[in-house]
Amino acid sequence: MPLKWVFHWQPNAGTTVNSQMINEVSQCVESINGVKEGRWKATLTFYKPMFRDQAVPAEYPRDFLGISLPEQPNRYYFIIRSQKIVLEADSSIQMIMEKLQSYKSRVSLTFEGFQYQLGDFQLRVGKVAPSASENLRGIVFEVEYLPLSSMEKSRQILDGFVEIWQEAMSKRSLPGHFMHIEPNFAEFGLSDHYTSQHTAVQYATVMAQLISAVQTAQGVRN
Amino acid sequence: MECVVQGIIETQHVEALEILLQGLCGVHRERLRIHELCLKSGPNLGLVASEVRVLCDLEQPEPTWIVRHIGGAMRGSGAEQISVLVRTMVESKVSKNVLRLFYALGYRLDHELLRVGFAFHFQRGASITVTVSSVNKMLKLHATDEAVPVTPGIQLVEVTAPASSENYSEVAAAVSSFCEYLAPLLHLSKPGTSTGVVPTAAAAAASLMSDAGVTT
Repeated sequence: MPLKWVFHWQPNAGTTVNSQMINEVSQCVESINGVKEGRWKATLTFYKPMFRDQAVPAEYPRDFLGISLPEQPNRYYFIIRSQKIVLEADSSIQMIMEKLQSYKSRVSLTFEGFQYQLGDFQLRVGKVAPSASENLRGIVFEVEYLPLSSMEKSRQILDGFVEIWQEAMSKRSLPGHFMHIEPNFAEFGLSDHYTSQHTAVQYATVMAQLISAVQTAQGVRN
Repeated sequence: MECVVQGIIETQHVEALEILLQGLCGVHRERLRIHELCLKSGPNLGLVASEVRVLCDLEQPEPTWIVRHIGGAMRGSGAEQISVLVRTMVESKVSKNVLRLFYALGYRLDHELLRVGFAFHFQRGASITVTVSSVNKMLKLHATDEAVPVTPGIQLVEVTAPASSENYSEVAAAVSSFCEYLAPLLHLSKPGTSTGVVPTAAAAAASLMSDAGVTT
């Protein structure tokens, strides 16, 4: 499948994201001739372990994440980022997890927004918010290069595109910038050939960045 | 949900059973070689102790993996009156690192088995699967090449069909009526209530073999 790079919005120190910024980012995509195609939505769910006896200390992963992706509606992805595990499963795995009663969903967040076509590129702008509320927690931006699946072969093309994109964004003088952190996919057992599991790993990485940004901001305030 | 019945047959009559199944189903058998790993939740994990099965299909060129959860059997007078077991069953195809994930989540290997045999999949009032397999245990962890039979000379026969809460009684009836055709060779009943091998098996097998022109 075509490879993609996922970016997250890194606000300048002391600033937060707001919905006006998403409008600005969308306008920026349109200003470089991106054609709006429709909506997209991914859901990320944090799971926490359940215990029979709460008093007994137990070590279980704290970053167990389940992800549903719009491009794979019948699949579901589990990630334990700290242990470099990503699993692809039929979406019925969620029903199995419910029946096991060993982990339950703690909180769900959605990545949701509009999708644009621009030549060989597909772009997505999305807000990050808890499923149960409209509270904006972050902004994501995705670039998908449709003709290629090899990450190495497409690196130069994407670097070129990102340069154009960052320049267009810089004209808007928003208090922050988009960051792309490429996970070490090989550590997750993934190859150069891009798959939805790569996307799941990138989403988990973005989520970790957003959480650490919130924690840093709270640390500053406290 | 699924409807299921099980039975056992002596290995010497398996060929006759295969001939009978081939005739009844009109489809070719598929070879079966499944490595089954039963995982149990670690101490204190989960509101209740839980169990999940990870199945690796070794018959595929590239082994494929499935997670299977078998839930409780349907209860009540309605369930008792039907001769097949109706239980919840959920499966999910997964990528090959599934064991690593469950170990990381706090599940432990309880036991593992290797099922070797054949299966028939066909439509007969329901989508029925019949598997005939010898159940083997591993002497060393994951050593499927050195597996030895748990019950030498005896093979397990399982008839299953997917069902839903709306159609389980029709599916159960379809499974029951199919099982009657196998009655001379083996008796199928709800799992856990095995009735052993049937006395007519040898004669039925001999008759099937001679009808099929197989000399033994």
